[in-house]
Amino acid sequence: MPSPSSSITRFASPSGVSPFGFSGVIAAWTLIVILPLLGLVLWSFLKLENFQLVWEPNLQAYRDLLSSGRWEVTIRTLRIAAIVTAIELVLAVPFAVWLAKGTRSTPVKVVTLAALTIPFFLSISARTIVWRAVLGLNGPVNAFLMNIGLTDRPLDWLLFSEFAVIVGLIGPYFPPMVFPLYLAVSLIDDELLAASKDLGASPAFTFWHVILPLALPGLGAGFIFTFIPMIGDPVVPELLGGGQVVVLASSVKSLLQVLNYTVAAALSVFMLAIMAGLAALLALMLGGRLKQRRPAGKVPQ
Amino acid sequence: MSKALPLNYTPTISEWPIWKKLGALTGILALVGIYAPILWLMVMSVSGEPLSGIPGDFTGQWYNALATNTNWLWPLWLSVLLGIAVALTCMVCATLVGRAIPRIRHGKGAILAVTLLPLMIPGVVVGTALFLYLRVLLGLKMGMWSLFAGHLVWSFPFALLAVLVVALRFDTRLLESGADLGANAWQRFRGIEFPLLKDGIISGGLFAFLLSFNEIARSIYLRGRIETLPIYLWQQASTKTSNVPLIYSLNVIILIVSTVIVGIAFWLLFGRRDK
Repeated sequence: MPSPSSSITRFASPSGVSPFGFSGVIAAWTLIVILPLLGLVLWSFLKLENFQLVWEPNLQAYRDLLSSGRWEVTIRTLRIAAIVTAIELVLAVPFAVWLAKGTRSTPVKVVTLAALTIPFFLSISARTIVWRAVLGLNGPVNAFLMNIGLTDRPLDWLLFSEFAVIVGLIGPYFPPMVFPLYLAVSLIDDELLAASKDLGASPAFTFWHVILPLALPGLGAGFIFTFIPMIGDPVVPELLGGGQVVVLASSVKSLLQVLNYTVAAALSVFMLAIMAGLAALLALMLGGRLKQRRPAGKVPQ
Repeated sequence: MSKALPLNYTPTISEWPIWKKLGALTGILALVGIYAPILWLMVMSVSGEPLSGIPGDFTGQWYNALATNTNWLWPLWLSVLLGIAVALTCMVCATLVGRAIPRIRHGKGAILAVTLLPLMIPGVVVGTALFLYLRVLLGLKMGMWSLFAGHLVWSFPFALLAVLVVALRFDTRLLESGADLGANAWQRFRGIEFPLLKDGIISGGLFAFLLSFNEIARSIYLRGRIETLPIYLWQQASTKTSNVPLIYSLNVIILIVSTVIVGIAFWLLFGRRDK
């Protein structure tokens, strides 16, 4: 092979890759992703005059955000997303382990995975409005509760409440949590699990100290694919919250409809800032735990 | 590690038979949570009064109504068109970037962070940012193209991840031996690289199509006056007009068609692996 000292030979190297297509995509990406996001931060500090943005940096949008109480929607949105993500975790982790390692039957796996894929094709609004009839005052849930005598009046908090939104979100956001977890667990070598068992570890010990650490990337991916899309989801909260549960997406939409661009930008930036803060906190906590664990792991040897 | 085991861990609870069944149990619970509404939807689509929440008075009138009231055809067509355009663009761009990332020397992490960024940002924030940028700053008129841009931002990171999974395992020495045997750059790509990346590219395209086909969170800010299928269905579901029962029957048809498609895809996928 010729020496790669000249740039021409390096460019023509058979395993090299032409930089043109690649840089073109990255340049276009910067135009439609990075610039708008930077612009969003900028606009949240600008002034709005006669529905025109005026170049006059100030904090008015953030003051409006605090005084109007709109900042509360970010907290509500995050709370709902966190509760549903926690429920998904509790449901998905044992299920993914069972599906990847607990069952050996291929038909069971194929049918289960297909059953988890099909809902992606279905309209989320159609699946959600069904809950309206089910949870409503005259719906089957209330009829059942009254029949067995748990309550003598229909429960009105079943529908158009945060409870209804949480119930409605669990189904649609289960598959995106299961898939990465399943993938991560099925990549764990069976020999490792057998070795752990042979060395006397209980199933619980194997789970906490072998499966979970190795499945951590899947856990992270599942969290990202569940938690983050849920924050942006306007459909379930609007259909099942019935105007009582205003989330970030609905709040921003109403702000844009009245052309209040700066507060809409400030609200979005506020959410990003909280998320970044939470991510930093999580990283700090996880980093601390890892540091604690490392020297402890060395002691038995 | 095994020596430390008896000190801290008493494995009695874990040896209950229920521990092994727990996984199947939570899975069945979740699948019931997913499919109970869908089954309810199917029952309601053949009921006389779907909005009452009580099945009965079985009829096929909502399916007949679907044939006479064809407002849903145009949104469906737009969504399919948009999904195909987004999927094809994602496949080309993800291939260009995905095959390059393992081979570039500097800034690999930075490029990955920039391209995967939309995964970390809620749709409402991306939608607002794109709306303010395109509509307010640049003064452009929203339409199919802005929906296309929004869907692309959402789908591309997923397509890129799918391509990266195979591209990171690709052995570039194969290209060198191809060159030694006299293949030119295009022949090396077409004959060696593409066949090995194909599975990742195709699954990336499928992901992209599905994500675009269902996308709502960004579309509501970027759609202008365009109605895609998810937006049309959502608007129909929000209003209390007599059109609502049509969504039930329409979704049952989509359900049946997609079950057949997924069934064939899985059969091909797993059938091929068994051979």
